Amino acid sequence: MGHVKGLKCRECGREYPVDPIYVCEFCFGPLEVGYDYKSIAKAITRKKIEQRPQTLWRYRELLPIDGDPLVGLASGFTPLVKADNLAREIGIDELFIKDDTVVHPTLSFKDRVVAVALTKAKEFDFDTVACASTGNLAHSVSAHGARAGFKRFIFIPASLEASKIVASLVYEPNLIAVDGNYDEVNRLCSEVANKYRWAFVNINIRPFYAEGSKTIGFEIVEQMGWKAPDHIVVPCASGSLLTKVWKALKEFKQIGILKELDTKIFGAQATGCGPIATAVKAGTDVIRPVKPNTIAKSLAIGNPADGFYASQVIKETGGYAEDVSDQEIIDAIKLLARTEGIFAETAGGVTLASAIKLIKAGRITREGTTVICITGNGLKTQEALQGHTMMPHHIKPSLASFEGVLGKISRGD
Amino acid sequence: MKMRVRLTFPQNLIKEPVIFTMAKEFNVMPNIRRARVTETVGEMVLELEGEDSRLQEGINFLKAKGIEVELIEGDVIE
Repeated sequence: MGHVKGLKCRECGREYPVDPIYVCEFCFGPLEVGYDYKSIAKAITRKKIEQRPQTLWRYRELLPIDGDPLVGLASGFTPLVKADNLAREIGIDELFIKDDTVVHPTLSFKDRVVAVALTKAKEFDFDTVACASTGNLAHSVSAHGARAGFKRFIFIPASLEASKIVASLVYEPNLIAVDGNYDEVNRLCSEVANKYRWAFVNINIRPFYAEGSKTIGFEIVEQMGWKAPDHIVVPCASGSLLTKVWKALKEFKQIGILKELDTKIFGAQATGCGPIATAVKAGTDVIRPVKPNTIAKSLAIGNPADGFYASQVIKETGGYAEDVSDQEIIDAIKLLARTEGIFAETAGGVTLASAIKLIKAGRITREGTTVICITGNGLKTQEALQGHTMMPHHIKPSLASFEGVLGKISRGD
Repeated sequence: MKMRVRLTFPQNLIKEPVIFTMAKEFNVMPNIRRARVTETVGEMVLELEGEDSRLQEGINFLKAKGIEVELIEGDVIE
C-alpha cells in the first residue's frame, strides 16, 4: 500500500484525489503529491532501505505509487564519486559528483522520473504514454515504454536534427515531427492531452513524474553515510529537479532518517537561458521568460514552470544561482573528463562551470562538503565539443613513425 | 475556445487597462484566477475565452503591447 494522501495545489492549497491531473481548476496552480509522513516514518528505517536492491525503488514509501514498482526496476542508485582530482583543481576541500551519466537504461536522470511516471501510468490503467521532448525525456519514454509494453507517442519539432532523434527511434515509438516551433509543439500536446486518454508524462502525469527526481536527493544522503552535504549544485531547466532534491532532504528529516539538515541548494543555468539565475541575482522572485540560445539544449526552457519555486528554495536554504557561457560549459565538460573520467552532457558542463563560479565568489565555501549533480551522459551531445577537443596524432603504420610522435609527446611539443 | 495563460507585464504597462481594452476590442472574456503586482512587474494567471481567431488576435494585441504571454503548460518540452 502506498502512503499518498492526495494531490494539493501549491498555490491555493486546495486538495484533489489521486488522478491524472496536474493543474488546480480554481487558481491554475500546479498540483503536487502529498504524503502521510506519520505512516511513512513507521514503515521505513535506514536498515530497511539498506537491505533493498540498489535501485531508486528502495525509497518506494516516499514515491507516489500504490502497489509494487512496475517500470524501471533497474533504474537509479548511481555512483556518488568522491572527486579528489577535481576538488584540487577547483580549490575545494571535499567534492562529490552524483553521477547520473550512468542511469539505466538511457543514461540521464530522466530515467528516474519516467520510471515513476510509467509505473503510475500502469496503475491508472493507461495503454499509451506520450511526451513532448527533444532529447533525454524522449529517449527515456521510448525505452522504458518499450519494455513496459506501452504504445508510445513522442512529439518533436520537425526542424530537430536527425542525429538527435535516432536515440529515440531505435526503440520504435510513434515519433510525431510537428511542422512548427517549440511553442506550437507544446500547445498541440496540451490539446492532445486534453482530448485523448493518454499518459503524457510531463503534462497530466507531471505531479507523479516529478516526484521521481527526489531519488537523487535520497541517494546522496544515503551514500554520504546518512548525512546531508553542506552544498548541492543542481542544474535548472524547469526548476523542478532543484525543488525535488530539496523536498527529498526535508522528507528524510521529517521522518527521522536524517538527523540534521543545513544544506544550501544552488542553481546552475546557461547564460543563454538563465531566467532563474537572473531572478536570484536580482533578488526578485518574478521569473521573466526568455528565448533560449545555448548549447545546453536539455536546459533550454525559457519559461520555467517551477522557476518561482526553485528560486524560493534557493532563498530559503541560503544558496545562490549562477549562469555560464557556452565556452565555460565546454571547458567544464573537458575538465570533468580530464580529472575524474566522467563525460557529461552539456547540462553537466553548466553545473560544474556554475559551481566553479560560486566557489570563486565565495558563495560555496572551500570548507565543507559539496555535491554536484551531473544529470546526463556526454555521448548524447558530442556535437557540442566538435572543434574543441585535442586532435589525434596521425602516423604511418611503422614503429619509426610512432616513435617520432612518442618523442614529441614526451618532450611536451 | 478557452486558453489558460500567464501574463507578465512590464513596469510601464502596470497602470494601463490592457486586459479591459483587449476584452472589449476582440470580444474575449477574461477570467482572472491569480494575480500579483509589485513595484516593478505584474503577473496574472487567467483564462481567456473567445472565438478562435479573435482570441488569437487578442493575444497578439497583448504581445504587441509588450506583455509576455505564456501558456500555463508552457514548459512541456524538456
